[in-house]
Amino acid sequence: MNKRTVLWTAIVLALLALLALGSVFFGLFEKSVVAKDVDQPLSPEQMKTLAARGAYVAVAADCYACHTAKGGAPWAGGLPFTTPFGTIYATNISPDKEHGIGNWTRADFHRAVRDGVGKGDTHLYPAMPYASYRLMTAEDVDAVYAYLMSRPPMKVANKPNDLNFPFNIRRVLTFWNLVNLPADMPPLDAARSEIWNRGRYVVDALGHCGECHTPRNIMQGMKASEYLKGAVLEGVVAPDITKDGLARMGFDPVLLPAFMKSGISAQGAMTNQMFEVVHFSTQYMTDDDLAAMSAYLSDLDKLPDKPASPTQPKPVAVAPELATAARGNYLSLCSGCHGIEGQGIPHVVVPLSTNASLRLATARNLIRAVLEGIPAQHFPGLERMQPMPGFKDQLDDRQVADLANWMRAQWGGEEPNVKPEDVAQIRRGE
Amino acid sequence: MTIALKKLSLTVNGKAIDPVDVPDTMMMQDFLYEYLNLTGARMGCGQGICHACTVIVENDDGTLAEMRTCITGAHWFEGRKVRTIEGHAKRDASGAITQLTPVQQAFIEHFSFQCGYCTPGFVTGATVLLDELKRKPVARADLERTISEALDKHICRCTGYVRYYEAVRDVILNTPGLIKA
Repeated sequence: MNKRTVLWTAIVLALLALLALGSVFFGLFEKSVVAKDVDQPLSPEQMKTLAARGAYVAVAADCYACHTAKGGAPWAGGLPFTTPFGTIYATNISPDKEHGIGNWTRADFHRAVRDGVGKGDTHLYPAMPYASYRLMTAEDVDAVYAYLMSRPPMKVANKPNDLNFPFNIRRVLTFWNLVNLPADMPPLDAARSEIWNRGRYVVDALGHCGECHTPRNIMQGMKASEYLKGAVLEGVVAPDITKDGLARMGFDPVLLPAFMKSGISAQGAMTNQMFEVVHFSTQYMTDDDLAAMSAYLSDLDKLPDKPASPTQPKPVAVAPELATAARGNYLSLCSGCHGIEGQGIPHVVVPLSTNASLRLATARNLIRAVLEGIPAQHFPGLERMQPMPGFKDQLDDRQVADLANWMRAQWGGEEPNVKPEDVAQIRRGE
Repeated sequence: MTIALKKLSLTVNGKAIDPVDVPDTMMMQDFLYEYLNLTGARMGCGQGICHACTVIVENDDGTLAEMRTCITGAHWFEGRKVRTIEGHAKRDASGAITQLTPVQQAFIEHFSFQCGYCTPGFVTGATVLLDELKRKPVARADLERTISEALDKHICRCTGYVRYYEAVRDVILNTPGLIKA
């Protein structure tokens, strides 16, 4: 090959690459899962009938939690999301014509929810879990649309996002979508029961559980190979909720629905983002949907009639000096509320002897709770857990590590592998 | 069942307590009541919420910290210096009170309390706040918020909050050096 041929080949290749990138950028490869028939608007009667069911679908999909700022107008957006790329704000999805989605057609709404492309070809950021909502049925999306359109319009302007280049160019999401968007919901699995199939839909589409519980890849997409196996989010572990993960934490498939409804169980109380999920969403879900969710997560076609007898992990031996030091601090600072035997106080303080955070593969959540405490939380049905004070000023890294190791070994059956450096890291907020 | 005992020695209201056998699971409040006959730190909720039971811990660096005695084990105070509500006012040799602290005096002048159950906790909390302001004065504009944040955790059921609040604000404004110039 002479120089001239090499040069020409290089130019052609560069042009082809540019053409390919451009094609992606301008959306030529974007696959919509939205059927053409949504171009047909819904009749006022249909809207009315659908709205009632949409209220439930919107609750199950937990739309409100993100689309309403703390203390803000309902559905008017404004809740900030801090990401490594900058801050983005949830938008106004009330039917206000200027600031909300009042001018959106049925088709606009379907494309936003399932394709991640809003009205006027504006790409949404995947903080909106459209990668999960993509799996929603057209009927459910219609129902949510009808419900939102029946809400009072809120004249609240959207807050501009504050993102770094190139993430401030919405169109770059065409690349993300190309790699990370799933195909449509797989067809019903005929080999499995109806409740298993419903559970899969509640978990994957409506509940969008994987958005937090599935680790993300380098492109920030959900890693299919580690589906629901747990991830770290804002310094907190969203635990493994696969069948094995749930069993490890001590959850019984028969009892899990009650935990999703009440937020309180022998394994502890919902905290952090899961507290909000219970608060806004799962407490209102039907018993059938919660049972389906549990059956699917535990990969069962039917929930057993009765829960199995709870099992306590076998304690792991720890060094006597560690046990003495840790038990001393436990009796001094923890036992007043959690009990000398870790039994807790019903309706006031969770037990530790059966607590899930003592049984997770990592002690991160336990250490964070010890250092930072947990705010008081009001649960459904007048239940209330008192605030837990943080002990970062009372205990040094070694003392926290000893305490975590001793509790996890004694009650969680976990190896005492927490080092003071691990505590220091979590103390620094890493 | 035998109760495991452990030696405990500490300083309470300036007086050294010789090592004494105390159950290793005993809470500080029970120790103060049953061993030292100091009953001023009130048992309220017993769950660390109401803060009627608090005492001051005098740290080695001179700072003061507030601790709840109903949920903190007696042995956590091993080797520490503790000030209970009985140790605030000045006393003569016979133990009679000769002078209240400015916080105590202000609570009386402002009629801050009715039943008085929460008062030892409020005195303790306000005293710790004054000590913090001595080290780190606040701007006048931030004073109201600072008082609220510091004493918010103390619960009063006769709702003496406003009068406690005004009393604490008075003491702070009348004590030189607590407000940034």
